[in-house]
Amino acid sequence: MTHTPLKLHFNDVHKRFGRRPGLIGVNIQLIGGEGTVLTGPNGAGKTTLLRILAGLEKPDRGSVDMGLGATRWRRCYSDLRTSILYLHQHPYMFDGSVSSNLAYAISDKHNRCLCQQRISEALKWAGLTAIADNHAKTISGGERQRVALARAWLREPRALLLDEPTANLDPEARTRTLELLFRLKESGIALLIASHDPHHFASLADKHLQLTQGVLAEEFSETSNVTPFRRTHP
Amino acid sequence: METLGNATSNALFLLISGDAELWQIVAISFQVSITAILIATPPALLTAFVLAYGRFPGRRVLISLFSTLLSIPAVVIGLTFYLLLSRQGPLGDWRLLFTQTAMILGQIALSFPILVAMGHSALQSADRRAWETALTLGANPLRAVSTVMWEVRFGLLAALLAAFGRIVAEVGASMMLGGNILNYTRNIPTAIALETSKGEFAQGIALGIVLLTLSFTLNALFYHLRGGGQPA
Repeated sequence: MTHTPLKLHFNDVHKRFGRRPGLIGVNIQLIGGEGTVLTGPNGAGKTTLLRILAGLEKPDRGSVDMGLGATRWRRCYSDLRTSILYLHQHPYMFDGSVSSNLAYAISDKHNRCLCQQRISEALKWAGLTAIADNHAKTISGGERQRVALARAWLREPRALLLDEPTANLDPEARTRTLELLFRLKESGIALLIASHDPHHFASLADKHLQLTQGVLAEEFSETSNVTPFRRTHP
Repeated sequence: METLGNATSNALFLLISGDAELWQIVAISFQVSITAILIATPPALLTAFVLAYGRFPGRRVLISLFSTLLSIPAVVIGLTFYLLLSRQGPLGDWRLLFTQTAMILGQIALSFPILVAMGHSALQSADRRAWETALTLGANPLRAVSTVMWEVRFGLLAALLAAFGRIVAEVGASMMLGGNILNYTRNIPTAIALETSKGEFAQGIALGIVLLTLSFTLNALFYHLRGGGQPA
């Protein structure tokens, strides 16, 4: 699976919840094949930011540059949903088997025979072959994450946004999830991972962002030798 | 006047012997009510979805309105459509009064709020992640709507059964709009009302048995589809 190099720029993103500010002038960019870890305390706005970037929530203000210049948000919801895939903290499984859940990600695009072949590949890719016929609502948390990642692999997004993907997983399930994320990153997908435990994602992170009270305040590059923190918003 | 025992045995005889008049009444009842529910269901469920997932001014008022309409008496619906469809009414030129079409219109009006209110309740209880997951996996809005509806299909099926149960057994609107014409607009409830008023209980009891059997069958089918009441 190969992707054309991606650069998505989100500029000056604002969001309020009543009187309470949710996000204040956030600027962020997603680059294909790059892993970004977003940390911050509870209520900092991590999930809100991810949902806005994925086109699931409307910001009050902000623009997106998908390579064709800055565009207003309302004009690019469908493009965002096409390019970016958001994974909930607890991925939702549709009523049906693991295989049918995988089929959902491709049934719009492929014929029946090819669809079956792609499902088999995805099951193998995520190590789910043994539970292919199990009811998806009865599988474990770690298996749910892998089904969600297999759906992402089938969907072939440009960017994958993950909300606490390893929360409540045992060490073995966490390792398997990280392996799959690493492979997705290697294939050229931009990863943005919101987590309270950034050290879990050290092997994936090229960049760390810190969100505090709606402000994307600190940023440092994992590979950079210069001062690790760079303020992106006053 | 027949005793209860005689009336019941006569009713069973009518059912078993395949009495043509009785089964014609049953057929009309089903034809009218199934047509009404088939027409009402798609727009009602879409309305329920919009009320459950949309955010627009007046949404809460609409939800309250449909909840209120749940308990609207059938005769009020009958009276309203009677006034609309009667010769002097605004739709009098359509000449629909005392036809099956008029009965269907009345039953659509009766079933619509039930389908919307119960459908809204079922859809609102659906996990919002289902809608979002469908969208992020590339589903177009129509497919995402179908997906969410499939996820809460038992709640929607319960709404469908409740609506069908209400219209197949209602007498007020059918009597006023259909006119209880034999072999044309006489359905089960209007026939029961007529036969009872004449003191002829056998046919009324036989039709009552048909309604009870229908109710039992539909509920048994629903229970079976839900997996015998086991949680999903």
